[in-house]
Amino acid sequence: MSFSNQVLVIGAGIAGMEASLMLAKSGKKVFLVEKLSLIGGNVIKNEESFPNLECSTCMVAPIQQAVLQDPNIETMTLSTVEKIDGDVGHFEVSVLKKARYASMTDCIGCGMCYEPCPVSLSNEWEENLGEKKAIYVPTAGSLPNVPAIEAEHCLQLSGKKECNACVEACMFGAIDLSETDEQMQLEVGAILLATGSDLFDVSQLTQFGYGKYPSVYTSIEFERLFASNGPTLGEIKIRNSDRQPKAVAMIHCVGREEQGYCSGVCCMVSLKHAHFLKHKLGDVKLFNLYTDFCVPDKTHQKFQKNIIEETQSIFHTSMKDIKVTEADSVLNVAYIDAKGKEASLNVDMVILAPAIIPGKDTEVLSRIAGIETTEIGFLGLKSGGLSTVETAREGVFLAGCAEGPKDVQSSVTQAESAVGGMLARLSSLTS
Amino acid sequence: MKKKVGIYICQCGPNIADNVDIDKIIESVSAFNDADDLEIVAKPYGLLCSGEGKDYLKQEIEENGLTHLVIGACSPRDHNNTFIGVCKETSLNPYLYKLINIREHCAWIIHDKDKATEKAIQYIRGGLRRVLYQSELFENKLDTNPDVLVIGGGIAGIEAALSLADADRQVFLIEKTDRLGGKAATFKTVLPKQQDAVEAIQLKIQTVQDHPHIQVMLNTRLDRIIGFLGNFEAEVRSIDDAEKMTELKIGAMVVASGFSLYDASTHPDFIFSGDDEVYTALQIEQMIAEKNQVTTRSGKAPKSVAMIHCVGREEVGYCSQICCNAMIKLAARFKTQSPDTTVKVFFRDLCLPHQDDQAFYNEIKAQGVEFVRVNRIATEGSQIKFTTMDENEGSELFDMVVLAPAMIPADGTPDLATKLGISLHETGFFQEAHQAINPVATATDGIFIVGTAHGPRGIQATLLQAQAAASKIRVQLIPGEQIVPEVRVSETLEAFCMGCKTCLEVCHYGAIVFDEDKGISVVKEAVCRGCGNCVGSCPSGAIQLKHFTNPQLYQEMIEAVQ
Repeated sequence: MSFSNQVLVIGAGIAGMEASLMLAKSGKKVFLVEKLSLIGGNVIKNEESFPNLECSTCMVAPIQQAVLQDPNIETMTLSTVEKIDGDVGHFEVSVLKKARYASMTDCIGCGMCYEPCPVSLSNEWEENLGEKKAIYVPTAGSLPNVPAIEAEHCLQLSGKKECNACVEACMFGAIDLSETDEQMQLEVGAILLATGSDLFDVSQLTQFGYGKYPSVYTSIEFERLFASNGPTLGEIKIRNSDRQPKAVAMIHCVGREEQGYCSGVCCMVSLKHAHFLKHKLGDVKLFNLYTDFCVPDKTHQKFQKNIIEETQSIFHTSMKDIKVTEADSVLNVAYIDAKGKEASLNVDMVILAPAIIPGKDTEVLSRIAGIETTEIGFLGLKSGGLSTVETAREGVFLAGCAEGPKDVQSSVTQAESAVGGMLARLSSLTS
Repeated sequence: MKKKVGIYICQCGPNIADNVDIDKIIESVSAFNDADDLEIVAKPYGLLCSGEGKDYLKQEIEENGLTHLVIGACSPRDHNNTFIGVCKETSLNPYLYKLINIREHCAWIIHDKDKATEKAIQYIRGGLRRVLYQSELFENKLDTNPDVLVIGGGIAGIEAALSLADADRQVFLIEKTDRLGGKAATFKTVLPKQQDAVEAIQLKIQTVQDHPHIQVMLNTRLDRIIGFLGNFEAEVRSIDDAEKMTELKIGAMVVASGFSLYDASTHPDFIFSGDDEVYTALQIEQMIAEKNQVTTRSGKAPKSVAMIHCVGREEVGYCSQICCNAMIKLAARFKTQSPDTTVKVFFRDLCLPHQDDQAFYNEIKAQGVEFVRVNRIATEGSQIKFTTMDENEGSELFDMVVLAPAMIPADGTPDLATKLGISLHETGFFQEAHQAINPVATATDGIFIVGTAHGPRGIQATLLQAQAAASKIRVQLIPGEQIVPEVRVSETLEAFCMGCKTCLEVCHYGAIVFDEDKGISVVKEAVCRGCGNCVGSCPSGAIQLKHFTNPQLYQEMIEAVQ
């Protein structure tokens, strides 16, 4: 017997959601497994996305809603895949579904439960720029709009102290502290891995002063700082202060040499940030320190030109030995310029554009899925030929940044392509 | 006919009930008597979206014989579909229902309960007025044809055709030249990993030719199309024999018409003639494919080669994305041919946006290929003049110069766009439906764009797009399954149309045609997406959008502006 009417998609970012919707439309029952409590992936962390500068959450929310409302898609949040046995047509998958402690059917997302919770935690989803309670949604507008409880921090669940605050605050009886983690077995015919990526840890490169100086940010931190649903509600204020930056340096390609590749999207992200700063602060001096401008799409160079014109950013290329130091809240960015001379800039904020690197669970996932990783550590396609979505394990496919750094367009395209690959493989089993 | 409107206000637990006085709303709408023959049933309910709530609504609709339904509850984003679903399970047409958001728009944002209630009353009364003017709409199911026309027999068209034919779709593949394979078929190796491409691509071409579900039509171009997703008719014509026209019935189309190259000889900084040792990267590729070596016009292997990137990039206004890689591949080829060859690469920005690219670049650099970052560069024959980033000027003579001209849209692209009724991007390539989240579709349902017709890209990205388009068609047109076109579409009010054709210009979807006999515009309902552009542009108010007509909107507004 084959399970060719059921498929598994791991990762509910833009690639996983697009693939799930298409697979569901073609009549497959889709299990969509997501490790976080919300779906949407990294795209929804962006206030606006390039090149159209459109609101990312508005762009993605209809897709998230469609996924959650699709009767053929079973979205499993707070879940991780632990084991994949069997082979194409007959995969048996073990999934650990962690308790959410709030009912997906009874909760209406009113948010009455957060306020009385006495435990405040750093909010990782907000790049630790903000706080959350032990019962939380990561950000305003999270979908599903149902909170989850971090059991290890909840007073009651961790056994630290008796507390029933959230349960009492809920008018719908939607919170159930007796819920337990569930071990689930899924039977599927094909699997798509769409687990996304992480960013290079810039604190490794001490010359950039990240972690040491509060006014040095990564691009994703800045994205949340600018976001209207972010921790500062979009006010650009330097960490631990009330100051708005008057001069900002954007340093491209952080980690490119260490990782050994260009991530292909960071130039566009830095340009977008220049636009954000100019648009919101008006009077701000902007510097871009870059090696190569990589703007590889029919729309991108025009975007670059427009942003340069709008922001009057100053560009420095071919620098070497960049070093960031701080004195009296002023950051000094020193470097050797194209002519080999020492030069420097004084700014009050630095935004680093880190390389896109394999997600931290990628290696574990590759072992569970029984596929190779590339030399760099992304999930690997089947070698030889002209493979685009297939892995060496039959019936296991890849899409999005799990396969390598990509922009939204390329992630969506690969997801759409993978759907065809999965459908073709499954129909060859039944015919 | 007597109208009986049901108005149900959801308490949403305490969310609405605590901040809005629901009794007052009920009282106000129950007293509504601005319409004749009207009976109102107005009631509060705990949680309408719950299972019990939905059952309650169904029961209320049937038992009271409601002709219209207004629900005061949350954002339509949350539960519009829920209540449409409820209507569909009853005798009430879902287009006679209206959801009014009194939670996000009133209860959650206005802290003064009286004011929140006042606003909620205005909204609900507006909804009540509107729903009385709404009309029943009926969703039509249409049979579809799952077969596909692919335009262009290059690697993109071949891949799309194979993906679809393997899914049991009949595919018609038209190609304007006399052979399949396009430009990629002339490459010896392909990026990103220098795979030997000849065999893989030849295998694909052979499979297409032998495939029982693919009909290949060489020397053929598209003449015209009519129809819409699931039901297109296309006329294709033989280029050799203008009398030979074939009519095809298909459900969707994939446009894979490829690219051309920027003509470097028109650039004022690059002065050369056909006698000079100046070549495009594509010419070198073809030379390698033909005789497996690169020689000058006099038949000798070049001892020094200059490779110049980004020729025409500023002029066309975009980066072609693959030239850096392609040039590095050729630089490697020169070094393999003779390790002593001096190879200098002149570039401004290196664009290597895929994970394997930079490793390849590092390897070539280690083999002694010299990379020179330049601010300006010009040639006169094979004499190169350049300025480096540190403002040093240089001048060198080479045995051979290889240019990487920008990729530009194929000849005939604007003509094809007109025939298909799809838009072009300002760069001249085809315009996708959405740059990020719907990249291979176009504004016209059922027409897809893939490969270099979409924009500059390499073979890997081209294959992905072709497969993506095939997937989308596979999912949208399932053999034997019907599709339900949007019913909230525009319609022309014949008596008012003056035939000015303004609406034809503003329609992005090619959904409006002109009836020459009657002298009026006519909306093709199956093509219309209901965007309303035509409604706004019509100077005589002769087009209306169903479910968003002026009287409907006006009625809703009367209350809101009171």
